[in-house]
Amino acid sequence: MGKAICYKEWIKTRWYLLLALVLMTAFTAYCLLNVSRVIEFKGAVHLWAVMLERDAVFIDLLTFLPLLTGLLLGIFQYVPEMQQSRLKLTLHLPYPHYRMVAAMLLYGTVTLCALYGVSLGLVTLRFETAVARELTQRVLLTALPWYLAGWAAYFLTAWVCLEPAWKRRILNLLVAAGVLRIYFLAPAPEAYNAFLPGLTLFTLLLSLLSLLSVYRFKTGEQD
Amino acid sequence: MIRISKILLFFCVTALLAWVLPWAYGFLGGAAPRTPFTLYSSVSGRFVWLESSENGPTYHDAAGATFTEREFDSLLPFFYYRQLVADNRFPDSVRGVAVTPRMAQSGSFMFRSSPRDLNTTGAGIYPMLESMSGRVDLETPSDVFRIDDRGITFIDCATNAVDTEKSAAFTEMMRRKGFEFPARVIAGNPTTRKEYDEGFFLTDRTGGLFHLKQTVGRPYVRAVPLPEGLEVAHIHVTEFRGRQYYALLTDTAGQLYVLTTEDYALHPVEIPPVDLRQEGLLIVGNPLDWTLRVAAADGAEHYYAIDSRDFSRLAEWHYPAPAPSALDRAARWVFPFRLEFTSTLDTAVYPRLLDFSARALLLGALLATAYCLLRRNNPLRLWPQTLFVLLFGIYAFIGLLLFSKR
Amino acid sequence: MTEPIIECRNLTHYYGKRLIYENLSFDVPRGRILGLLGKNGTGKTTTINILSGYLKPRSGVCRIFGEDVQRMNPRTRQNIGLLIEGHIQYSFMSITQIEKFYAPFYPRWNRDAYYQLMEKLRVAPGQRIARMSCGQRSQVALGLILAQNPDLLVLDDFSLGLDPGYRRLFIDYLREYAKAEAKTVFLTSHIIQDMERLIDDCIMMDYGRILLQQPVGKLLEELRQYTFTLTADGPLPRDERLYHPSAIGSQGELFSFLGESDVRRILDEQHVPYTALESHRVGLEDAFIGLTGKY
Repeated sequence: MGKAICYKEWIKTRWYLLLALVLMTAFTAYCLLNVSRVIEFKGAVHLWAVMLERDAVFIDLLTFLPLLTGLLLGIFQYVPEMQQSRLKLTLHLPYPHYRMVAAMLLYGTVTLCALYGVSLGLVTLRFETAVARELTQRVLLTALPWYLAGWAAYFLTAWVCLEPAWKRRILNLLVAAGVLRIYFLAPAPEAYNAFLPGLTLFTLLLSLLSLLSVYRFKTGEQD
Repeated sequence: MIRISKILLFFCVTALLAWVLPWAYGFLGGAAPRTPFTLYSSVSGRFVWLESSENGPTYHDAAGATFTEREFDSLLPFFYYRQLVADNRFPDSVRGVAVTPRMAQSGSFMFRSSPRDLNTTGAGIYPMLESMSGRVDLETPSDVFRIDDRGITFIDCATNAVDTEKSAAFTEMMRRKGFEFPARVIAGNPTTRKEYDEGFFLTDRTGGLFHLKQTVGRPYVRAVPLPEGLEVAHIHVTEFRGRQYYALLTDTAGQLYVLTTEDYALHPVEIPPVDLRQEGLLIVGNPLDWTLRVAAADGAEHYYAIDSRDFSRLAEWHYPAPAPSALDRAARWVFPFRLEFTSTLDTAVYPRLLDFSARALLLGALLATAYCLLRRNNPLRLWPQTLFVLLFGIYAFIGLLLFSKR
Repeated sequence: MTEPIIECRNLTHYYGKRLIYENLSFDVPRGRILGLLGKNGTGKTTTINILSGYLKPRSGVCRIFGEDVQRMNPRTRQNIGLLIEGHIQYSFMSITQIEKFYAPFYPRWNRDAYYQLMEKLRVAPGQRIARMSCGQRSQVALGLILAQNPDLLVLDDFSLGLDPGYRRLFIDYLREYAKAEAKTVFLTSHIIQDMERLIDDCIMMDYGRILLQQPVGKLLEELRQYTFTLTADGPLPRDERLYHPSAIGSQGELFSFLGESDVRRILDEQHVPYTALESHRVGLEDAFIGLTGKY
């Protein structure tokens, strides 16, 4: 049954996932190409110098991309469920309700993992060949909150989409916007280092909010 | 599970409100008045400052006198030496010491340390400049170093590979001079935008202070003797134009020291302890004296005048912290606490709960009562919500009104 | 009578402050096809939602196969087929994909039943359900329920959006299936003629209450429409056994389970100036209108 659930999620999201993968790879590659160009035209020393002196991480373009991909995945996965209350079909399946939602969220989490893994993997590979591990780490640690924001955006989108009442949905949207703001407060590289474990835990906990929406759906909350 | 989700939701909403509401409230009040720019006058021996008003700047001193712009320039001959030279007014002597514009040019410096610069995460690798390249301009080095417990390692930028030979030579030299790896404090200004290079000052595992630089590709390492019991907390390599100092240091007690070039000796500066992680330090120096400004986190500013020869205190002047405005005082009654993720004192992002106020419990109690009345329920049956509103006040109240079921 | 498949006890529900119904109770016995009839706003959809577990009533309980629907064991749902209003299905899937998706959930899955029905549709196996006509979609939804092979079917307004041909097709398939395998069906529809061909029992809902629950055969056997001509401007009869007496011009009309002589007696007692009282048998639609009124 788990396989069947994944199958449905896959059919909903496969084209989007392909697009997201292309976008993610393309944007990441573009950023990394810039790194190569700096090395080629200005030399490796210049690359190291701007990274050390001016806190350049070269992948600023990716800041909001994980957020966007997570958000869109949530939309592609949960809007079809809410159109014409299709969630009724899903919840009518002989499968525990909250486990069903958890399975759907897990599918999204894992696919985002893969998507972000590709992007972060490319970043790691490129920087590892060009700069010292400290600088690679710096880039990754600077970028990690953006990717966490992607998961958060996904969970929050699920929460907002699955919410049955519009009034509440708008409130949820405001809360979601506020929560997502937390991931983009960095005034400097590696600003989140101390907060990362806590932020990761918090991000994972956000998945629980969807259960609340489903609970409200089941009790028949309406505007 | 649903209960946990609900708690999580109220946690998020309360946290967001505790973050956003005080921030929005802050917009009601204007900016706090700034203290005027103040310097110690080598001529009059008093602190002087300029205040901006609607009719342009006015000039004052600590004795209550006011000055014209021209008078003010002459009170600060080193600071305004270019103006004085242009007007042909630069003095021959100040307080009995013969001075020249050249002295003013080379002996003046400005030093700034802000908590935000200290409380930031560095990359942990540093380029080491060549301090005796024989060229006038400094050049960006082609390698960087890291120091760990095995020694110092140089990594070549172009190949991203370890320069084993150079690493071994430096490690060997540092060991020979008594450096015990790893380093605790690594301080330097690895930039080419300075006039000369004095490399790095480091403390080793045992707290010993060392000077490390690269001269013609070779390591220059020197142990700097520290007074008994002195534990270095922060080091700032100065590299001022006058080359009179190597570095400014503080110890763990907050005492400020100058490391002078001629004798590699540490001289305590006669000011009260300063916590550079919390307080900003500005030093405007000239050949005769320094003006130090210590900006405390609460907004108070403390000015000290220091004799450049023996670093003894000449005078001091204090601007108290601004009194809290009526809005600030009202906030203590409204907000039980406030949440911030960032701070002006550092570059880190993490949740910080600030400004706990027991006075807000009163409003909390009122709102808890209002909540029970609104929900037409008795406080005993609603006790978790009632307690929540009592403690978290306005945040919990708004959150519950918006998100709990009627 | 065996134990009921659906058992609703004292259901009370409000939307906000608006009362939908209070203390509503009914049973659906095994092997019966039961239609829920009611005018708009009497709470048909509310009842279906409560029944399928998507609405928690303010009070009261609803049991299916003896289990409270709010706390139902997920496995019990294997045995309940649900058709959502408008034949909603996962329209982003094709007919083969959707079969592949549902099959693992149901141990009694009857793949052939589904594909037999699909063959009649003449749609490409790869065509997405979203691009099918409403009638075709209804067949997909029906096929899935037939393949699921549940003992209880809950159908919410199955005739919505269907043209007469598909409606007939749907009804015939459903009836044959239900009768052959002694399935229990609970359904609503706004087209009452459809129901007449299909249902064994009916529940008629009026605002806030159940008007009657009985076998359709018995209802149509006993209920009579009485027409009469008014001879003067007189009062219409008022009696709770006479349903919705009305007059258009001089033509009077009322419905009752009483025999002609009893009706005549009441009219006489109440001095209704009438003549030419005639008794007629009626169909389900007229019975429904007669009992619930036109407004």
